[in-house]
Amino acid sequence: MRIVIAEDSVLLLDGLTRLLVAEGHEVVGYTTADEVVAALGPDDDLPDLLVTDVRMPPSHTDEGLRAAVHLRSLHKRLPVLVLSQYVEQRYARELFAGDVRGLGYVLKDRVADVDEFLDALGRVAAGGTVIDPEVVAQILARTRRSGLETLTPRERDVLGLMAEGRSNAAIADRLVVGLPAVEKHVTSILTKLDLPQAADDHRRVLAVLRWLEHEPTIGERP
Amino acid sequence: MTSPTSPSSVSDDLRVVAPAFTDLRALAAAPVSVATWRGISQTVVGSFVVLVAFIGLAVAVSLSVSLIPLLVGIPMLVATLWAGRPFAQLERARLEAQLAVEIAAPTYPRRDGWWASWWAILSDSRTWGHSAYVLVAGAILTVQSVVVTVAGGFALGGLVYPVIAATNGLSHPPFPLVLMVPGALVCAWVAALASQAGSLAIVRSGRSLLGASARAEALEAARQAQARAAQAEGRAVQLTETRTAAVGAADEERRRIERDLHDGAQQRLVALGVELGAAKRKVSSDPEAAAALDHAHREVKETLAELRDLVRGIHPAVLTDRGLDAALSALAARSPVPVRVDVPDPPALNCASTSAQAAAYFVAAEALTNAAKHAEAQQVTVTATVSPGGRLRLVVADDGRGGATAAPGSGLDGLRSRVAALDGTFDLDSPAGAGTRLTVEVPCAS
Repeated sequence: MRIVIAEDSVLLLDGLTRLLVAEGHEVVGYTTADEVVAALGPDDDLPDLLVTDVRMPPSHTDEGLRAAVHLRSLHKRLPVLVLSQYVEQRYARELFAGDVRGLGYVLKDRVADVDEFLDALGRVAAGGTVIDPEVVAQILARTRRSGLETLTPRERDVLGLMAEGRSNAAIADRLVVGLPAVEKHVTSILTKLDLPQAADDHRRVLAVLRWLEHEPTIGERP
Repeated sequence: MTSPTSPSSVSDDLRVVAPAFTDLRALAAAPVSVATWRGISQTVVGSFVVLVAFIGLAVAVSLSVSLIPLLVGIPMLVATLWAGRPFAQLERARLEAQLAVEIAAPTYPRRDGWWASWWAILSDSRTWGHSAYVLVAGAILTVQSVVVTVAGGFALGGLVYPVIAATNGLSHPPFPLVLMVPGALVCAWVAALASQAGSLAIVRSGRSLLGASARAEALEAARQAQARAAQAEGRAVQLTETRTAAVGAADEERRRIERDLHDGAQQRLVALGVELGAAKRKVSSDPEAAAALDHAHREVKETLAELRDLVRGIHPAVLTDRGLDAALSALAARSPVPVRVDVPDPPALNCASTSAQAAAYFVAAEALTNAAKHAEAQQVTVTATVSPGGRLRLVVADDGRGGATAAPGSGLDGLRSRVAALDGTFDLDSPAGAGTRLTVEVPCAS
């Protein structure tokens, strides 16, 4: 794949570049959000994936996030993986306000789990959705929707992994159970929460997120 | 001369300096009373002192006035007036020594800067009074000394002549003795009364022109009180400004530390984690090396997690990027106790200064920690509003077991100081068994 990385820490940019090159990817690195926006502005020659940090020069606030939102509005199909030193539900909501396909938002620490990171990279590039478990935990903690309490603890775990954007196979792998067991849980959850039985992972993530984010949750305004 | 018996008030002056005017017995004893002889000595010394002062004053004033067109006259006039002060001190000491009356020294106005101090001398009524005293006392002493000398001379002559005449056998006195002796006695009383009355007049004018006047003292005291009040007010304004600046500087410092950690240690650790993660994939053939790498890798990840919590405790980036509303939501999301955040008008919170928002954030963070750790609360509500008066109001209420106190050294105590430094109010209501309600108000502009 051709991957563009926007990361102001040269040390980390180097590490990521070496890691991805070793995996057989072609990597172009930038250290500011402006450079990335300028490079990816034109419609032609889009990379297969953009990996961007949130906090970058010059203001060191959320340039990376804004660049990601902006580039996604220009190129609907550009897969973007946003990395951040801290993940907050508020940023997630801004990022996932539109189409959630080919979009990821994970804690920078996860990069150290190389296999996990490469997996997330591949899923986003393939049009999947990846949401950091910490964000999902924040969303789950704030949900006031009735219906959640009808789920069994195991079903809650599965719901969390669904919200992170994982496929049934990945969930089965993570929970160390068989695929049929996961499929049974998923069907049960979707029935209990009155959600459509969509086979498509993207639509399932979207449905789960919308359901969890729906009023009345904390921080959400009518 | 400050013993309790020493005369110090105006009503005492008459009794001490001129007792002959108080009752008949004193009047009868006037020529031989101590007061009379003190008065005479006062007249002699005073005439000399005041005469010298008068000549000095006359010369200095006429010289300075004539030199005013050359401007030199102005400082000379100031110097002349100023010289009245040591003169007044000398004269008060003389009156105290000779007449046993104590005249309180006035408090002269003090001003900083040479022009202000000149003006203070020129505009001070007491200082002009000292010069006026020279003229008044000069007139009194002239009359007093003339009368005392003439009448005293007659009395001495009228009483001594008959004795001399008798011893020397003179037979033709200039006046009949029948007239001479009573005349001498009258003159003695006249001289004594003149001595006492003149001295009383000197003391009275000294009191009003050399001493402290109640009105001038009161005016000066009022002026000084006013100056002190203005100074205190200026100091209060300055302290408020520096205190706000100090709080702002502390907040800015926290943000800087957060940024430094984010850009430095955190990034380095992540990069190290990536390296270790990549190395781990390669050395799977050697189990011992793999185990060591795996351990190092786990340590790095745990350190990263700890560092992240620490950094968030120093200053949450979401507060800078998205404001108090978002930061409160993030706090609520991380709380183990269910939290309801109620912000009716999120954009309104942004009118509060960064210091005010940071104070509110850390109060909420501490209150939520306490609610989860100590209060065993089931539900917490965080409300943030901005009052029409421009005050940021934060209320954190839980249904826990109450009994919370902001004991010295506790987290809440530190936050109370932080709120107080912003001129805010901190109200902790935590009755045992009835939940805790913490209300904090901070001026938005602080």
